[in-house]
Amino acid sequence: MKIVVAIKQVPVRDSQLRIESDQRWIQEDDLGFEINEPDAYALEEALQLKEKHGGEVVALCAGPSRATQTIREALAKGADRAIHIEDDNLRDLDTFGIATLLAGAVKAEKPDLILTGLQSDDLGYGQTGVVLAELLGVPHATIIMQVEVQGGSIQVKRELEGGWFQHIEMPLPAVLTIQSGINKLRYATLMGIKKAKSKEIKSVTPAAAPAATAVLERVYVPQKSKQTQIFEGDAKSAAAKLVEKLKFEVRII
Amino acid sequence: MATTTFPIAKPKGGAFLLEQRQPHEVFTPEDFTDEHRAIGRATAEFFAKEVAPHLDTIQYEDKSVAVGIMRKSGELGLTGVIIPEKFGGMEMDLTSMMIVGENIAGDGSYAGWHAAHTGIGTLPILLFGTEEQKAKYLPKLASAEWVGAYCLSEPQAGSDALAIKTRAELSPDGKHYILNGQKMWITNGGYADLYTIFAKIDGEKFTAFIVERSFPGVQPGAEEKKMGIRGSSTTPIFLDNVKVPVENVLGEIGRGHIIAFNILNLGRLKLGPLAIGGCKDVIAIAAKYAKERKAFGKTISAFGMIQQKLAEMAIRTYIGESMSYRVVGMIESHLENFSWDAPDAAQTKLKAVEEYATESSYVKVFASEVLDFVVDEGVQIHGGYGFHQDYAVERAYRDSRINRIFEGTNEINRLLATGMLLKRAQRGALPLVQAVMKLQNELLSPPELNLGGPVGPFVAETKLVENAKKIGLMTLGIAFQKYMTTIDEQQELLASITDIMMNAFAMESGLLRAQKIAASGKNAQNATEMAAVFCREAMDSIEAAAKVALANCQEGDALRMSLAVLKRFAKYEPIDAIKLRRNIAARVLETGKYTV
Amino acid sequence: MSGVLVVMEQQAGAWHRMSWETLAAGQQLAEQVGQPLYSAVVGQGVAALAGEAATKKLDKVHAVEHALLKDYTADGFTAALAQLIQAHAPSYVLFPHTYQVRDFAPKLAARFAASLISDVVAFHAGPVFVRQLFQGKLNADIRPAGAGPVFVSVQAGAFRAESLVEGAARVETFAPRLDAAEIRTKPHEPFREAARAVDLGAAELIVSVGRGIKEKDNIPVVEELAKAMGAELAASRPICDNGWLPMERQVGSSGQTVSPKMYMAVGISGAIQHLVGMKGSKTIVAINKDSNAPIFEVADYGIVGDLFEVVPALVEEVKKAKS
Repeated sequence: MKIVVAIKQVPVRDSQLRIESDQRWIQEDDLGFEINEPDAYALEEALQLKEKHGGEVVALCAGPSRATQTIREALAKGADRAIHIEDDNLRDLDTFGIATLLAGAVKAEKPDLILTGLQSDDLGYGQTGVVLAELLGVPHATIIMQVEVQGGSIQVKRELEGGWFQHIEMPLPAVLTIQSGINKLRYATLMGIKKAKSKEIKSVTPAAAPAATAVLERVYVPQKSKQTQIFEGDAKSAAAKLVEKLKFEVRII
Repeated sequence: MATTTFPIAKPKGGAFLLEQRQPHEVFTPEDFTDEHRAIGRATAEFFAKEVAPHLDTIQYEDKSVAVGIMRKSGELGLTGVIIPEKFGGMEMDLTSMMIVGENIAGDGSYAGWHAAHTGIGTLPILLFGTEEQKAKYLPKLASAEWVGAYCLSEPQAGSDALAIKTRAELSPDGKHYILNGQKMWITNGGYADLYTIFAKIDGEKFTAFIVERSFPGVQPGAEEKKMGIRGSSTTPIFLDNVKVPVENVLGEIGRGHIIAFNILNLGRLKLGPLAIGGCKDVIAIAAKYAKERKAFGKTISAFGMIQQKLAEMAIRTYIGESMSYRVVGMIESHLENFSWDAPDAAQTKLKAVEEYATESSYVKVFASEVLDFVVDEGVQIHGGYGFHQDYAVERAYRDSRINRIFEGTNEINRLLATGMLLKRAQRGALPLVQAVMKLQNELLSPPELNLGGPVGPFVAETKLVENAKKIGLMTLGIAFQKYMTTIDEQQELLASITDIMMNAFAMESGLLRAQKIAASGKNAQNATEMAAVFCREAMDSIEAAAKVALANCQEGDALRMSLAVLKRFAKYEPIDAIKLRRNIAARVLETGKYTV
Repeated sequence: MSGVLVVMEQQAGAWHRMSWETLAAGQQLAEQVGQPLYSAVVGQGVAALAGEAATKKLDKVHAVEHALLKDYTADGFTAALAQLIQAHAPSYVLFPHTYQVRDFAPKLAARFAASLISDVVAFHAGPVFVRQLFQGKLNADIRPAGAGPVFVSVQAGAFRAESLVEGAARVETFAPRLDAAEIRTKPHEPFREAARAVDLGAAELIVSVGRGIKEKDNIPVVEELAKAMGAELAASRPICDNGWLPMERQVGSSGQTVSPKMYMAVGISGAIQHLVGMKGSKTIVAINKDSNAPIFEVADYGIVGDLFEVVPALVEEVKKAKS
């Protein structure tokens, strides 16, 4: 079974974010980058499926040259090879544009299954996988908690709202967006890192992509909609002030 | 995995004093390959997810939890970095090993487990073992299935290791050595499965033995109650008629000291990245606290004196880091086409390490003292909370202290550093005498007038480095003239000379790195500012050390003349260090961590 | 091309509560751009629901009816709505940002060569749509471009259903042409993992714990506070993912939605997925080390500090206050 995993490189979780002076994006100079967390679960799921059913895992990433680091880490974790749609100006595209580029690369691979995370930790549009399926003309399912391969089709467990789930069957090839926490992520091993060096990363110049229909115009720190009263002082005195408030004003104690 | 290609002939050990290095000739963390960085991130991730959540348990409840974690890290390859693949290792370069060390150093106790196991616990067999010994033991050590330990010290033999009393006698049938004695301060002692134990055969021939824990008569004693690294196991080991098969003699009989000293050389260097890893951690902790803690209506990070502390912590960490990886790179330059398959592989590695024994001592002394400085200021930034067990900085403070004691006390290393330089000169391996004479001639000729000399970035600092080396050479020359062959006995003097040379090496390492970053086109402002502040600070301590040394060797007119020369060399145009430190601190606070 | 079309969500004849919020957003947008407002209800036998929707102020309700729309499938819903949009050419199509919408709306937008402007929290003149980046740490203004309709999904709680203006509208049935062969996925009946022992929805007081607790062994620290206050213990997703607390105690988009009298978030940074599950609480208290954590955006009261110091202190104070 041949699996393509679409991964994205995003700033390290809990980074201190500073906005560029032109307010179009954040300053990236001092930031560390890592694989988008939901994509890490998608990669892990692909690796486990490969371990179970055999085949090949191809990591696919659209991003600037710095994304090579994240691609290498995917290879170190066990992806067999990678495709890097490399361009420093991908930010001008929207998700439809990015998905168009990804679809172009996936088509050539003719995979059985395409996995990606359910959303990115930076932009959080949560739609790349779904659009990819539409462009490839294959079925899809989102927020997947479990994948079972049954010959030429799969049954997946999809998460619904409020603690509900649903099984869905569909023929292959298909696109799945993977929910975080579905499996236990493996570490990159030193041997994996060493071997990753000799694995292939095919660098692709992006084809023409449709102009953005959703243009990111300005990035800014949200204004607080609510006035929060912060209780200062050491733990004890802050706790005392809070409890007083909860007792006499909110009246729940 | 070659680290970098050095465009020059490999520098001779100690030659930094006599030659001017160019930025492209030094190895810096900016030269790490993608693999090196990936190794660093993988190790850091492992530490954050597998070690950090258990620090309190390891320290206060059950130190053996660390053993399980270390075995898990073995699955990632973290305990077998430089071991050949055929023995279950990763067969990577020294740089990789250093990077792993740096990234597990966030806790002194865990670092103690890891460093002792992978260093002194494993390296003796890797570098001195026979093929059979390696095949038998290395796979178990590489995976950390077995924990390794190293037993040199005894109650009466610490720094003077050759004075050990543990005895080994050949059994009547000639098949075993019978070991008797007591070892002391054995890191990982309580939980190790394999010990490298030094003993004297027939009370004379200093020899190393590979001893399995399961050999009858091997008995670890009670855990020592330590000031720091309380989650690390430290016990005595009692040897009571332990039968060790003759094939477990490690290296040559009577030449155990070769093993002892060589292993220490590498250990000293490795302490650099370990200490620097600790520094980085404490800087991040202190910066975070400074940004959260409010006093007088603002966060304490807004106060100048807090900023000066954070900046100075970053500056010294930068210098220590630059020195550490520079020396690692010097060694790697000898190992470019290194292969474990070569018949003399271990020898090649050992020689490369030994070449820079002096520089490795500088790294050990400098980095351990930087860490002590950083944890001390870290506590200070925390105020009363820094004195409280609930704060990580309190643990770091206690854990730091041992670094100035083990792997050879900083005093021993100060003696060794200059002592080894003199030995190299005696052997004709380093033209030290010629350099001293040349300098003396130069001093006799009138000083050149510095009219319209080169200006620009780094010019002043380059001159400072050059002058620092001259002060070192001058002081050494005068000291040697005075004491000749008895200079070995002048401990205070040797230590002062080491401090001068070490600071010169430190200045140069930080400066060349800043220049290299600038030459690469990256933003070098921070590195440049850190180097600029340090070069001047270090020159002040060099001048002070030289004064003490010179006054011990000369008097009257001779002394006055030397002091005049010293004053000339040590002179510099001051810069606004307060302002530069504020910039450096701003960078720490902005990113929440040490960044170059 | 004109009009704002709000696609309302129903499940087996029952409204998804966010449908009304989205319709409210639709009323505001339609007024701002000066265009008529339509809504669509998709399914089989949705006439009654459509009639209910028609009691609000809007111009027309489309009851999109087909036997193949009985169970939700991305293929079916996309095809049906694509036909509706082609037929009526609205300028804006609004959805509630539900799990179901996340499953098909991007596909629908892609059919019109557009991106879905998802999870929008507000819009300004233009219109420019506001959405959150980096899990709520930053906001971004998104300006639609291109020739086709603009597809937008609206975050839970961003618009208030109470602000809906009443009115009367026509209901028009729309019968899409669907072919069973084009529906490639086969959905099974939804199910729950286990009977729920805790009903957080009914709890008056909730103390909820997040990543800040660090280790499973630390959970009792917060448990004790919940006990002292007489509150139910709840958690954010990572805690339940790790198995530190059972799934039924999870609050957030994939767990339960709660609106107690008081919700105390301990060591919870406040990712959007969590916030949508508790934003409706009457009083929100946040205890977090990081003063920039998004949880403080919604909190009424806060303590910035180490939960391992603050929580034990609180337990003591609560006990004192109760005695």
